[in-house]
Amino acid sequence: MSRFRVAGRGRVRHDRPIQFTFDGQQIEGCAGDTVASALLANGRHLMGRSFKYHRPRGPVTAGTEEPNALIGTRRGKGRFEPNTRATAQDIWNGLETTSQNKYPSLAFDVGALNDGLYMLFSAGFYYKTFMWPRSFWDRVYEPFIRAAAGLGVSPSEPDSDHYASRYLHTDVLVVGGGPAGLATARRAAEAGLDVTLVDENSEMGGTLLSEPQAEIDGKAAWDWLAEEVAALVALGVRIMTRTTAIGYYHQNMVGLCQKLTDHLEAPDPAMPRERLWRVRAGQVALAQGALEKPLVFHGNDRPGVMLAGSAQTYLNRYGVKVGERPVIVTSHDSAWYAAFDLADAGATVQAIVDTRANPRADLVAEAEARNIAVLDGHTATGTKGRLRVKSVRVNPVKGGSIGPGRTLSCDCLLMSGGWTPSLHLFSHTKGTLKWDEETQTFLPDRKAEACQIAGAGRGLWGIEAALNDGAAMGAAAAEALGKAAKTVSFRVQNDRTGSGITHTELPTDRHPSQTKAFVDFQNDVMAKDLRLAVREGMRSIEHVKRYTTNGMATDQGKMSNMNGLNIAADALGKPQPQVGLTTFRPPYTPTTFGAFAGYHKGDHFDVTRRTPIDSWAEENGAVFEPVSLWRRARYFPQSGEDMDTAVSRECRATRKSLGMFDASTLGKIEVVGPDAVEFMNRMYTNPWTKLAPGRTRYGLLLGDDGFIRDDGVIGRLSDDRFHVTTTTGGAARVLNMMEDYLQTEWPELKVWLTSTTEQWATIALNGPNARNLLEPFVEGLDISDEAFPHMSIAECTVAGYPARLFRVSFTGELGFEVNVPARHGRALWETLFEAGQRYDICPYGTETMHVLRAEKGFIIIGQDTDGTVTPFDAGQGWAVGKKKRDFVGMRALQRPDLVAENRKQLVGLLTEDGRTKLEEGAQIVLDPNQPTPMRMVGHVTSSYRSDAMGRPIALALVEGGHNRVGETVHVPMPDGVVRAEITGTAFYDSDNERLKL
Amino acid sequence: MLLIHCPYCDETLPEAEFAYAGEAHILRPDNPADVSEEEWRDFLFIRTNAKGPHYERWRHIHGCGRFFNAVRNTVTDRFLTTYKAGEPRPELDTLTEDGQ
Amino acid sequence: MTVHVDLLTARELASSRAATVSLLAPVVRFSLRVGADERDALSSALGVPLPTRIGQCSRQGETEILSLGPDEWLVLASESEAAGIIEACAAIYADAPHSLTDISDREVTLLIEGPKAGELMTLGCPRDLDRLPDGEARRTVFDGVSVVLWRDGAERFHIDVWRSFAPHVMSLLTTGCGELALE
Repeated sequence: MSRFRVAGRGRVRHDRPIQFTFDGQQIEGCAGDTVASALLANGRHLMGRSFKYHRPRGPVTAGTEEPNALIGTRRGKGRFEPNTRATAQDIWNGLETTSQNKYPSLAFDVGALNDGLYMLFSAGFYYKTFMWPRSFWDRVYEPFIRAAAGLGVSPSEPDSDHYASRYLHTDVLVVGGGPAGLATARRAAEAGLDVTLVDENSEMGGTLLSEPQAEIDGKAAWDWLAEEVAALVALGVRIMTRTTAIGYYHQNMVGLCQKLTDHLEAPDPAMPRERLWRVRAGQVALAQGALEKPLVFHGNDRPGVMLAGSAQTYLNRYGVKVGERPVIVTSHDSAWYAAFDLADAGATVQAIVDTRANPRADLVAEAEARNIAVLDGHTATGTKGRLRVKSVRVNPVKGGSIGPGRTLSCDCLLMSGGWTPSLHLFSHTKGTLKWDEETQTFLPDRKAEACQIAGAGRGLWGIEAALNDGAAMGAAAAEALGKAAKTVSFRVQNDRTGSGITHTELPTDRHPSQTKAFVDFQNDVMAKDLRLAVREGMRSIEHVKRYTTNGMATDQGKMSNMNGLNIAADALGKPQPQVGLTTFRPPYTPTTFGAFAGYHKGDHFDVTRRTPIDSWAEENGAVFEPVSLWRRARYFPQSGEDMDTAVSRECRATRKSLGMFDASTLGKIEVVGPDAVEFMNRMYTNPWTKLAPGRTRYGLLLGDDGFIRDDGVIGRLSDDRFHVTTTTGGAARVLNMMEDYLQTEWPELKVWLTSTTEQWATIALNGPNARNLLEPFVEGLDISDEAFPHMSIAECTVAGYPARLFRVSFTGELGFEVNVPARHGRALWETLFEAGQRYDICPYGTETMHVLRAEKGFIIIGQDTDGTVTPFDAGQGWAVGKKKRDFVGMRALQRPDLVAENRKQLVGLLTEDGRTKLEEGAQIVLDPNQPTPMRMVGHVTSSYRSDAMGRPIALALVEGGHNRVGETVHVPMPDGVVRAEITGTAFYDSDNERLKL
Repeated sequence: MLLIHCPYCDETLPEAEFAYAGEAHILRPDNPADVSEEEWRDFLFIRTNAKGPHYERWRHIHGCGRFFNAVRNTVTDRFLTTYKAGEPRPELDTLTEDGQ
Repeated sequence: MTVHVDLLTARELASSRAATVSLLAPVVRFSLRVGADERDALSSALGVPLPTRIGQCSRQGETEILSLGPDEWLVLASESEAAGIIEACAAIYADAPHSLTDISDREVTLLIEGPKAGELMTLGCPRDLDRLPDGEARRTVFDGVSVVLWRDGAERFHIDVWRSFAPHVMSLLTTGCGELALE
């Protein structure tokens, strides 16, 4: 057995040894140990190096508030995590752990040179030390800081784990499984409520796990605990261990992070590592207890210096003596019990040093009974020991003056500066705090949510008080939810009640500039840094915090905030409540990105919408691109083709004979009702009254600000029924906008809107042979040019499927769009593809669609428009009804700035050399020789190589562009200025001859 | 995540089912052609930006689909009430934060 | 990366001791929109009363009508009833204007059943489904996706989800089927 393990003590399994490694060294612990307790059992306190000075550090706590003992853990490939708290990580056979912030080794670290240079690293050192010379910043200072700073190393492999999440609705959520939380849960459950009890530890019990001496209603604490947990289970209480309430949000929503596998040697690979719970509770009961405060004195950070309550936990819960020869330094009664427990377990307690002149007589008597020296009215003024504390210097304090010091030899130093109620979650709710002068702590005041706070979390002390308070809060929660609850009261023997006083820095005879008294261990913030910040003008605690980084470490100030506040308040000469506490924000403890991401990674990262024809595209080698949530086939490369080559071929084939395109993603809205035409008149710029059933029209939709929002071809199926198409990305937005006007501005209109985007699969056929291919498949409709001219719509059957057929063209070629019920989409596509072989039919993707439309000067909403473009800017004035009384956006088109001269207008651009393809987004200037910054007059919106034109073409928004046709503009690029001529937007077949087939 | 009472469904439901839709009680003029530049500017762009109770619109987009009105305290993020589109603006002094 | 998901073949998608998830065969599905004044006329024409409270269903033979909003109903029917529904509505349109739109292919239906079906729904649905009575339905969200969700019984649900969103929903339900079985 390890030297510091106490036989028969604690809740670990002494009969189940566990082997793990720390920095490659084999370490043996017991089942139930944390990494920290197992290392301590082996006499090892040194577990890491600090962030700034690389000072050797050991654990200061036994829980998740640990600032020092941060390690890397490896649980197999892709499962490395930095900054795991050794005090919270369970061990199992094969676990690999490593120390951090050290080079080359933990015991000898060159970074510790910083420790000798601490004068350079005082508060705000970033802003002072590294100022000059300027050129040193990039080459010297920043690389140095980046190499030296930082916690641990980031994982280099993708995370192999998966994560889960759930919603949970519960009547009462109890946070904290200590005596208060257990009693709350019991009362609420007995009142017939659905209760959820969570605790971040591996088992319920809280303080009870560290205080087995207590007797609750005549039962030993641990027997009582086991019976109580069993009773809760029997009552149906949902009990969740290793589950941290990380944030408390609006209307009693609490986020929980449940760790499921980190403690297991061989978890089922299908098991999620962590699960994020989003809990909505009727009442939340906060029973989070209190956190012990360190004392602030020179050398309070050496390995072996630890909180007294944590030493007690290591002994009673883990069966580990943290040392053989402890010295206790305290300002609170609680640390005396740690001394007694350690003495009773065989340690030789060197002394109890109490800063108070008159410690409680019963405690002194108990110390004397154990032959423990008591030094009352003493202070600690320093420690020695490089990798482990070896001695502490203590001095008497009388009447404010420090007497001569003496050195006490020790192998660990246990400190207590009193206790701070854990109010983090309460603060998340914006509940207010009030300062309690007697205990020198903040306590909960006005609640902002339906919650109760019980036990040490509201300043009560002792197990009996916590149990009774918990029971009362459970009853209060039940009553708030309309249930009657019994009142009960508990009797606890051997309860360790107590009190204490609060210090800033402990009194010392050292010169302040020579005193390394740490407040924030992890961020290496010393008391003198806080005082310096105040001297340098920081007045608000928020500024002091940011200037010194006190409280900004991963423990979020759990160790440092109260000491920091006390010192800052003292330096400012103001009472603490006037200086205030910094805001606690979620998460309560560091939480993995994985937990927040949950299921949303890999293929499930986000919704990927696929059309009914997508599978065919995939099987036929399509390259895809995302378009809003959809993935769309971008082009279909044949062997060896790059995108340009493939697109060029697809364009050529379509213009020459026949191309087919999956247009299923187009938004579709069925507008039905007696007022359908009136509604269309009001929504769209175009006039609709005279559009005959069976005909279609290009529709332009503006916002009431006059700017283009969307466009699409709209067919009138009957007097009362329109088939509206929208852009792919605009479908949901347009329907929402239409519903908004219909429901709130024009509720009197009898018209209804239904999204049919996904009802239909849409296949576009374009090219001179489009009709030749389609005609044999169409029944119930004559699709000759005479019977079914350009811009027609009809219902018919195509290849036996019910269809809505549009004659429409977004390419400038003879075109049809066949809509069939989605389930038939792929079958029809394959039928047409097969039959189209005689016309060398070519499937094409969005890239070719873009090129073909640009050759015709057809705009893409959101590419050639950007929310500041009017129909007139875009050269679409022809689509604006001139005689309409009103439509959305009409009034705004009269606004002075919308009719101003020199607005940016959509034009064509042809590069002068006929070869250079402009970059989309490139800026345009009139005079390339003007001094920089140049005045930019517009930008390129679309740019492609055009097979049909045999040269690159582009569209651009240019100031006053419509009056500049024929002028030359300049596009400055990194490798030179490109000259281009402004043209009209229709590059190809501007007379639309090709539609008339 | 807030809880929002939909006045059409008469249920208090998670915010995830709803979409915010801007300030409420901004009436589009019956005949926009008749209004002045200033009035049209105000309709388009001028908003209260209240600190405290704010009349605003929500849509139960993943539910009944209806737009409705709400009064929400922008400081506490609490709803004071929700009501159907077209109903009159409730007086603030009749509302409390537990109003829903 | 992405895998094609067949939405045409009704089948079991995932099964564990926790739950079973299946894709059901297509049904005829209409969106019916009508104002309060004309509602009774539509009830008569369809022979099934249009329920007035959001979330309520009424059933007659193979036809089911679900109220989704103040002026919105979902009409589910068998293939053989479809033509009759269209005709009956068209016959009264002039006197009782409304919108009847075929959305049979817009959505697919997934069935979730088994001892932990309810818990499986909590992976994606933020509603408290314990408050949803048997036989009722609601439009809500599942993992950010709009769905119509019916509670058929204590541990049996079915959901309608837009076709292109279905693979996303199916993937989470499949993952959850396995995950819940581990507990």
